[in-house]
Amino acid sequence: MTSFSQAAVVLAQQGGEDVVGTGEAIAFWVLGPLALAGGLGMIFVRNAVHSALWLVVSMLSFGVLYIVQSAPFLGFTQIIVYTGAVMMLFLFVLMMAGRDSADSMVEVLRGQRLLAALFGIGFATLLVGALARSLVNVQAQVPPDPYDPARGGGAGGLGRLVFTDFLFAFELTAALLIVAALAGIVLAYRDRREGPKRSQRDLVEARFRGEYKRRSPQPGPGVFATGNSVATPALLPDGSIAPESLSELIESTNTARLIAEQDRVLGSQAEHDDSRALLAGEDEQGSEQEGERK
Amino acid sequence: MPQQFLAQGEQLQVPAIDFAAVLPILIVFGAASIGVLLEAFLPKHQRWSSQIALSLTGIVGAGIALAAYISDAPEGGITTFMAQGATTGAIAVDTPALFLWGTLLALGLASLLMIGDRSLEPGGAFISQAGLQSGGLQTREQANVTGMQTEIFPLTLFALGGMMTFVAANDLLTMFIALEVLSLPLYLMAGLARRRRLLSQEAAVKYFLLGAFASAFFLYGVALLYGYAGSVKLAEIAAATAGSSASDTLLYAGIGLVVVGLLFKGSVGPFHTWTPDVYQGAPTPVTGFMAACTKVAAFGGMLRVLTVAFEPASWEWEVPLWLIAVISMAIGAIFGLTQRDLKRMIAYSSIAHAGFLVVGAMTLTEDGLSSTLFYLLAYGFTTIAVFGVISLVRDANGEATDLSSWAGLAKRSPLVAGVFTFLLLALAGIPLTSGFIGKFAVFSAALADGNAALVVIALVASAVAAFFYLRVVVLMYFSEPAAEGPAVTVPGAFTTAAITLGTAATLVLGIVPAFALNWASAGGFVP
Repeated sequence: MTSFSQAAVVLAQQGGEDVVGTGEAIAFWVLGPLALAGGLGMIFVRNAVHSALWLVVSMLSFGVLYIVQSAPFLGFTQIIVYTGAVMMLFLFVLMMAGRDSADSMVEVLRGQRLLAALFGIGFATLLVGALARSLVNVQAQVPPDPYDPARGGGAGGLGRLVFTDFLFAFELTAALLIVAALAGIVLAYRDRREGPKRSQRDLVEARFRGEYKRRSPQPGPGVFATGNSVATPALLPDGSIAPESLSELIESTNTARLIAEQDRVLGSQAEHDDSRALLAGEDEQGSEQEGERK
Repeated sequence: MPQQFLAQGEQLQVPAIDFAAVLPILIVFGAASIGVLLEAFLPKHQRWSSQIALSLTGIVGAGIALAAYISDAPEGGITTFMAQGATTGAIAVDTPALFLWGTLLALGLASLLMIGDRSLEPGGAFISQAGLQSGGLQTREQANVTGMQTEIFPLTLFALGGMMTFVAANDLLTMFIALEVLSLPLYLMAGLARRRRLLSQEAAVKYFLLGAFASAFFLYGVALLYGYAGSVKLAEIAAATAGSSASDTLLYAGIGLVVVGLLFKGSVGPFHTWTPDVYQGAPTPVTGFMAACTKVAAFGGMLRVLTVAFEPASWEWEVPLWLIAVISMAIGAIFGLTQRDLKRMIAYSSIAHAGFLVVGAMTLTEDGLSSTLFYLLAYGFTTIAVFGVISLVRDANGEATDLSSWAGLAKRSPLVAGVFTFLLLALAGIPLTSGFIGKFAVFSAALADGNAALVVIALVASAVAAFFYLRVVVLMYFSEPAAEGPAVTVPGAFTTAAITLGTAATLVLGIVPAFALNWASAGGFVP
């Protein structure tokens, strides 16, 4: 603590001179490339989880850089809030959405990626070039003292600003948070209640009150039949097919086969007397075997 | 060390707050917060009526508070939330701010009436459960469930409060947070349409992504300007422009990025790409709210930033803004010609109008300010009424926004066709409408400021744009109606009130504009 403030005093005395110390330079040249690598890795990695982890590397480096620049509060906030909370939420969402879901790499608009890269690199070059030029003759400020709010440093100075100059902005963030929470609720909430759940007794009573088409359960498939496939219709006592037992789905999908099977059940094709031969003809044998294999 | 800090025993001085001046904002935010509580504690069937009552009370109450403050407002305006020892506060309450607050509250009232309407579609224009996946069976059932997501009312109020803060914010940080407060509810509201869910959700996602980019631009600009001026306060940025040792590159890049963020919100020129899709996909009442109120807020903020903070640097940004105004007018007028969908057409019309507004906003004279304020007022009312009328013409699939289904509308419903014609003429800027007075005021202010070339281009663009408004008029009056065309729904009290308010304001501001023009020119921005 004491050495820190002594260093601050020394730096303050140096005033406008070049004040980048050796330690700071080393920290910068270690952390700067790491932060850059994190950013690039985030963009170029395909896997979304890896991408988020690269971003963590970048953010941690920034956090440490802030601390080196005698802004410990900002540095720790960066690490705790961004790396700790926000990125973990990010990862939660990624895990929920499925970590295997990768971006589609199909170009919807032709030449879009090339143009985007061109303009992106152009904008970055412009910005970096302009900033590099404009920040050459920067007069070094006296480093803020983290423990003296009067000299604008640390949590104390920030707290003072929040409750004086930016009081209204600070209170306005309350509205922002309410809106965010409300929006989350609206987008995610599903009302699954469809009235109170009915017990078995209620259902029986409802059946006999006539709320359903029939009182008994549906006829099961294959009654009085030689096969027990769903595709085999139930037969009524007089030998006719019970229409309720015909599955709509099967009816619509494999009509030819069903008709053949019905014919066989009704005995109209007596030549196939083998009960296990569910086939109407020689040509369908192949497809039937395939079906069985599935 | 921490003990030392505590031992100093320093007391923070609470900033001076003029509660009477900011009461309208506080009332709107208060009503919004109470609305959230109602949402949490009321049973479903009571929510709609109580939310409507609360929101209307909130807006009208804010209007009364505003009127009471205006009646004895200090000359020249004040800034409040001023910290001890600072020269300016965070919120500026001056004539433009008061004028824009009044405009926003009136337009917000009309929008709220349209949002709350349940007569055109059983249950209102909003889905009853936004969380369901679109395209599924449940969503199709939802279209017939009466009931809506009543969170829309507090969200509208939050957006309105954000807009009111935005036009009065006196530093860029407050402005940024207000920008987010006004944008977030709009992103969500765009995705809540009852019908055509996929279009609506696409609109919401598009608006959100592009809006997030614009916010990032704005924030980056704020950071660069802070690097230049050492402060985010508008007045101190202006002071730094006069004499700062920092490189001007920071200033120019900062101005550029901040202005790009603002232009995006105002749907100007090359930053307009979200506008047609979002206007088309969003539920029509929300489109009306967005088109009218967001534009007022964006240009209100832009006027303040350009005048208060960037005026000393005006030589640097005049040429780019000149170009942007031309591009915006050209895009709006030319692409508007090719549209087959009415909502998209009005969206391109709003891009053209944004170009006209930039002409006014870059004219940093007293007339430039007052005429731009008047234009915003006039355009807002006309647009809300236009979207109100669009929501009336419906077929089995909801609103019939395709141009062909409007053919021969005058034979089915002369009144609706007449009102719509009047509103389109106002958008085109024909005399006896507010649109004419607005354009006349803005163009004469720009002419007086020596921008003759820009005014000529603007006149040409107005003429081109007038063509596509008149095409709709011709279609309504001189075409045979389609055999299975849409029906004109008889609106309930709420939508009728909103359309009447918008149309009446368009007429009154077109015939006796003096009172509004006088109010708009009563004073400038507080430095």
